[in-house]
Amino acid sequence: MNEFLLLPFFLIIIAGSLYAGLARDPYVKIIAISITGGAIMPLIIMRGYLDVASALAVIIPLSTVFLLQLFKKGVV
Amino acid sequence: MSGDLFGLIPWTIESPFSSSYVVSPSGDVEIIVWICIAIAVYSAFRVIVEPDVMRKLPFLNVFSFSISGIIALLIPQPLGIIAAVAYFVGSTFESNAIASTWAGGVED
Amino acid sequence: MTMLFLQIAFAALCCWFLFITVDMICGLPRNGGVCGATAIAKAIEKGGGNINGGTMMGNIVSSPDASAGTLLAACGVYCFGIPGGLIATILVYIGNRICYDPGYAGTTGCFIATFMVYGGTLIGIPAECFIAGMVIAILTIQGISHRNSSKLLGWIWRLFR
Repeated sequence: MNEFLLLPFFLIIIAGSLYAGLARDPYVKIIAISITGGAIMPLIIMRGYLDVASALAVIIPLSTVFLLQLFKKGVV
Repeated sequence: MSGDLFGLIPWTIESPFSSSYVVSPSGDVEIIVWICIAIAVYSAFRVIVEPDVMRKLPFLNVFSFSISGIIALLIPQPLGIIAAVAYFVGSTFESNAIASTWAGGVED
Repeated sequence: MTMLFLQIAFAALCCWFLFITVDMICGLPRNGGVCGATAIAKAIEKGGGNINGGTMMGNIVSSPDASAGTLLAACGVYCFGIPGGLIATILVYIGNRICYDPGYAGTTGCFIATFMVYGGTLIGIPAECFIAGMVIAILTIQGISHRNSSKLLGWIWRLFR
């Protein structure tokens, strides 16, 4: 596997995680974690774990939807 | 695993990503993977830089298009379709949930 | 190498026209749809764009539509040929229902795009060029300038009406 394909994904993961930590608005934090999760997916695929990647692709958005149910008007 | 840095400099890297299940894309497909990676990095940069929350979501959509394309290009087997579609539908569902929660939820 | 870029450019143009046409026929820029799409449309209009173009961009974000259908059809044909494209059509239909979208824009786009990509492989444009072409097409619509592309989409919607 060509390892130079991996480097941009590491960049995106670091940038997304730093942005998630430094942002103020909670919606922006959720978007930044979504970017981080999206950049992790090809790294799992490159190792050959397609089923783990498919399961994660379903679990991460479902968890976010349940988290968003806490964000009603006036709670945050 | 050894490889050349674009064929110019001999460079040897041992890494855990060399697996016998997945072959590295070669030739024309590798150029296309690099195009999709460039678009992913650009759109991630635009998400971070954009000031308004709701206007970040179209850039996030471009990002998930490119990651879906990369997933499908890395695995030229039928299970690759399922992984790409699962990631894309999950990401779209999440963007939909973020946008409608920000707007105040579904008014019944 | 230049041959590859010409193939990608041609594939990008084909994908662009296909998904804009199918989305306009299915009435995506019409007002009053999904809650999230109207939120994005209002934000784009506040930035100086067109409300109809903004509604279409909001609908592209909220639910798999013809653009997503074209991309996943190209992925399906790349991985598995025409049966792969048809499997992708079924999965896009399920995805549409998961995202609470009662329309058929994604399914129609995926179905037509399967045959378009297969026809492209017969001409001599490999299926991976359609994947790159579709990503470039969605980048031009949603990834460069929301104001200008919503004005362009609003103008095309006025032509269609």
